[in-house]
Amino acid sequence: MTLHLADYLIIIIYFIFVIAVGFIIKKRIKSSNDFLNSNRSIPLWITSLAFISANLGAQEVLGMVASGAKYGIMTVHFYWVGAIFAMIFLGVFMMPFYYGSKARSVPEYLSMRFDEKTRGLNALTFAAMTIFSSGISLYALAKLLEVILHWNFDVCIWAAAGVVMVYTFMGGLTSAVYNEVLQFFLIVIGLSPLVIVSLHDAGGWSSIRANLQPELTHAWKYMGNAESNPMGINFISMLFGLGFVMSFGYWCTDFLVIQRAMIAKNMSAAQRTPILAAIPKMFMPLIVVLPGVVAITLMQPALQSRGYSIPLDAKGALDYTMTLPSLIAHYYPSGLLGVGITALIASFMSGMAGNVTAFNSVFTYDIYQSYFVKNKSDNHYLYVGKMITLIGILLSIMTAYIAKSYNNINDFLQLVFSFVNGPLFATFLLGMFWKRTTGHGAFWGLMAGTLAATITHGLTIAEGKGGWISPMFEIKSGMGQAFIVAAFSWLTNFTTTILISLVTKPKSDIELKGLVYSLTEKVQAPEQKWYLKAAPIGIILLIITIILNILLF
Amino acid sequence: MLEKFNQLSFVIGVFFVLVSLVLIGEYFFPIDLPKIINLYTGIGMLVFGLLMIRSKA
Repeated sequence: MTLHLADYLIIIIYFIFVIAVGFIIKKRIKSSNDFLNSNRSIPLWITSLAFISANLGAQEVLGMVASGAKYGIMTVHFYWVGAIFAMIFLGVFMMPFYYGSKARSVPEYLSMRFDEKTRGLNALTFAAMTIFSSGISLYALAKLLEVILHWNFDVCIWAAAGVVMVYTFMGGLTSAVYNEVLQFFLIVIGLSPLVIVSLHDAGGWSSIRANLQPELTHAWKYMGNAESNPMGINFISMLFGLGFVMSFGYWCTDFLVIQRAMIAKNMSAAQRTPILAAIPKMFMPLIVVLPGVVAITLMQPALQSRGYSIPLDAKGALDYTMTLPSLIAHYYPSGLLGVGITALIASFMSGMAGNVTAFNSVFTYDIYQSYFVKNKSDNHYLYVGKMITLIGILLSIMTAYIAKSYNNINDFLQLVFSFVNGPLFATFLLGMFWKRTTGHGAFWGLMAGTLAATITHGLTIAEGKGGWISPMFEIKSGMGQAFIVAAFSWLTNFTTTILISLVTKPKSDIELKGLVYSLTEKVQAPEQKWYLKAAPIGIILLIITIILNILLF
Repeated sequence: MLEKFNQLSFVIGVFFVLVSLVLIGEYFFPIDLPKIINLYTGIGMLVFGLLMIRSKA
């Protein structure tokens, strides 16, 4: 792949704009609240697009195209089963507690609802996860640019990290959020022509259905038996593992995305943020799943004359991760190639900036201010927030180099994170909807859930991974294994939290007011039209999601 | 005019107008053969950019 002047021009324009956004926002930063929380002043359309964009990082874009090629249309489950329902639940039921409690972060909500040890556990694991995710995102960007454009790895690392550092240091969270919106439009508009031309080249949807095996073109039809679909899981594992545990665990508890809703102007906007974000999310498979399905179709015998193939890895197997870059190289001429590459760079930088801004909020408020230096002036915390941004970027660079030296560390860290994240939703679900839940119950439930995830992974083996205690159960795909691990960890956390809560002393009703469903006054906004309320929009979106699932059944 | 850069929709609009001009320019002054996809995408981005510039969001 070779870039020309027009391509470089587009990349340069993009870099100038993202840095300029940082300088524009810098003037508005007067306090730590402005820097770390955007002073809860961001308009709804921006919070909604930032909410979805925070989850539109490189792993999402490259990973979903790769999954589309590997698993076919079943990949839409990550959206229609694994996102929309949880986003609506977050908006309708959980945002009133996150936003209404005036907590500045998810760990701070946990300290209000439970206790300091639960907050500390969540804050520390979250801070570590965001830095590693940011570093891995940076590493993946540099590696990709090195492979497809032959750019120098070190220059890519430092240039990308430098740009993210400038705009996050200047404008904090607001700057990151504004750039996420720009990145969202760039990714969607930049990749849309690829979908159109590649789909046209493949002969349209009817040709895809005619050329691919049926299990690659149906979302549900082959899910009755785990053996008959490419993901190797049945519909129960899908619904409970992905649709409930993993999906709700991510969308309803991960501060990285929830932070985008917490900076909305008011409660109504905060509730509608994830719900409005669900609209573009619902149609995102057209941009990130369909190209993967098209790519594998183009490799079928009847379409081999098109001259496209997914590159092979060192072992001679299809390197699915390279599906999107290879499609871009195949279909985009000079000019549009620059847009495609810029969209890829934007997705990596978006992921990195989102992680860094979430990290600095949690570190400043939930670790530094809570455990080390209390009761200092606001200027002090603003200064610390800015320094933590720099440190976060430097730690990300360090992580990127560690990932380069130890290739397996990525898989290992992702695994550890899934052990920690898997059980988390049980803690929030019980905490928000059962006032009897105690801090001890929440803390030990989380610990037991993480332990259960570790043991389940040690007893199951899939694609050569896991089974390190004893490979007692074999699962067809790594994805299926992940769903089962998450399900067991969730159930363990849920039951442990209930059992320990029943034998420990709960907080009083007065202390829990505004933090638990049964003790929170339901605010009615009669002046609001029905289509501006979270619940009716949510119901409409649920119906559309069900229809989409039926259409691709 | 400079104050308009405080408005995110304006910034996004200007960005896409500039990128569209590069794409349309690449169609009319190509390195090798002109590619119609650059022109179509450029026009699409130009329209989107102008709409964003005009919007008050």
